[in-house]
Amino acid sequence: MLEVKDLAKHFGGVKAVDGLDLHVRQGEILGLIGPNGSGKSTTVNLVCGVYPATAGTVWLEGQEITPLPMHRRLTAGIARTFQNIRLFGQLTVWQNLWMAQNAPDHVREQGFFARWFGGQARARASAMDYLDFAGLAEKADELASALSFGEQRRLEMARALAAKPRVLLLDEPAAGMSAAEIETLDERIRRLRKGGLTILLIEHHMELVMGIADRIVVLNFGRRIAEGTPAEVQADRAVREAYLGTS
Amino acid sequence: MLDLIQNTIDGVMIGGAYALLALGFTLTFGVMRRLNLAFGAIVLCGLYAGAAAHQALGWGLLGSIAATLAVAVAAGLYVERLCFRALAESASIAAMVSSFAIWMQLEEIAALLMPRRTYAYPALSEARPWEWAGLSLRPDQLAMAAVALGAMAALGWTLRRTRFGLAARAVATAPLAARLAGIEPARIGSAMFLLACGLGGLAGALIAAVDSQVTIKFGMWAMLKGLVAMTLGGIGSIPGAVIGGLALGVIESNAQWYLGAEWRDIVAYGLLFAVLYWRRGRERPWTNS
Repeated sequence: MLEVKDLAKHFGGVKAVDGLDLHVRQGEILGLIGPNGSGKSTTVNLVCGVYPATAGTVWLEGQEITPLPMHRRLTAGIARTFQNIRLFGQLTVWQNLWMAQNAPDHVREQGFFARWFGGQARARASAMDYLDFAGLAEKADELASALSFGEQRRLEMARALAAKPRVLLLDEPAAGMSAAEIETLDERIRRLRKGGLTILLIEHHMELVMGIADRIVVLNFGRRIAEGTPAEVQADRAVREAYLGTS
Repeated sequence: MLDLIQNTIDGVMIGGAYALLALGFTLTFGVMRRLNLAFGAIVLCGLYAGAAAHQALGWGLLGSIAATLAVAVAAGLYVERLCFRALAESASIAAMVSSFAIWMQLEEIAALLMPRRTYAYPALSEARPWEWAGLSLRPDQLAMAAVALGAMAALGWTLRRTRFGLAARAVATAPLAARLAGIEPARIGSAMFLLACGLGGLAGALIAAVDSQVTIKFGMWAMLKGLVAMTLGGIGSIPGAVIGGLALGVIESNAQWYLGAEWRDIVAYGLLFAVLYWRRGRERPWTNS
């Protein structure tokens, strides 16, 4: 589904990502973990096109998307959430989702004029489905900036889903959440997988990622040091050394 | 007291047109973070086209206004492609400096094609002023203010209620998130740029129709009025542009009445200086729109 081949990103002399290969299979949740500074977020940014790769390619369903600019990667089928929340604070909750309705399906079913100057009822109806899913339906008309932290995180996810992605990149969705919130997040991610969505999950919260990921890739110093099921990865010696320091 | 009221009424009317000019600057600045110094020249091109249509083809008021808007938007497209789209990745100073060069170019072209200094523009209304309790109201000025107000209301609706307007605000406040939500800032920026040129063209047409004439100096004049009004209200703020335009109109007409015509611009620029000093380092584009 989503493939990354020999991807590299160097910031000056720092090799943030260094020859990384990744393959996220159709319908699975691939967990991407690693210590701080191991290149997880850089990988997400490269897949989304936030900055160009130093070397390597990114493929979506057999199509190379490396040359596509950011906004075209969304229409190609990749949506993401941010570790540091980036909502449109002056817009209402449902309008945040409206902004993301740029998938080819949306463009096809609305004409140019309806897309930019009308078509509000339809756009809203579709947005409400995702807000229901995220438990934000009753907050649809509040300003995004007025939401609590946990609600803003949920809105980030709803906005990404509103773009009808084929691959969803979740960049530390549990960061700063309470145990109860993480539990509902866990359940929501499972429901998304059931619906057939392919997910790349970057997460520090081990319990969450070990519980729901089908496979896990472990990064350190921008390279893959282990790959396998959660059980296999937990038993891996290189992984323990990366997290606990070399013994 | 009666004088003050009369001056204020006159000031609010011309201030409506100033506000449209200021909005033209603010819209481009808010979305693109770029200052378009060719704005006045774009308006001038539109006005010359309207005057030419009036003189050579005998077009009336509405025809001339339509020609003005069409040519202003076309000139805007030219400037946008040359100075803004082409330099989108460069520093904002590059776009500003090149728009200065295009300002000169457009003005020279206009002067070469239509070398007389003054051209007639169809009048907005030739009805006699209405007198009431010692106050006088010019119907053409009233019409100008009403059209300007209508245009501002339409713009407000577009920015707050349509997806295009909301996307423009999303691009202005969170450009990275907007891109990753599939919005192409360059496209929204171009559309906003053309909308701004259309508003400038409308403002120019209203002012020229009240004066029944247009001169080659109009471009420079429109630039100054728009920039001063925008800065008075707070750079990049949309309500600020409206308030700044109205304030500039009221201040100018009172200064002219009480101090004399030569003080009109001195007072306006003096106030601009004071506002810039007072607000230094406090510009927050589009945060309060």
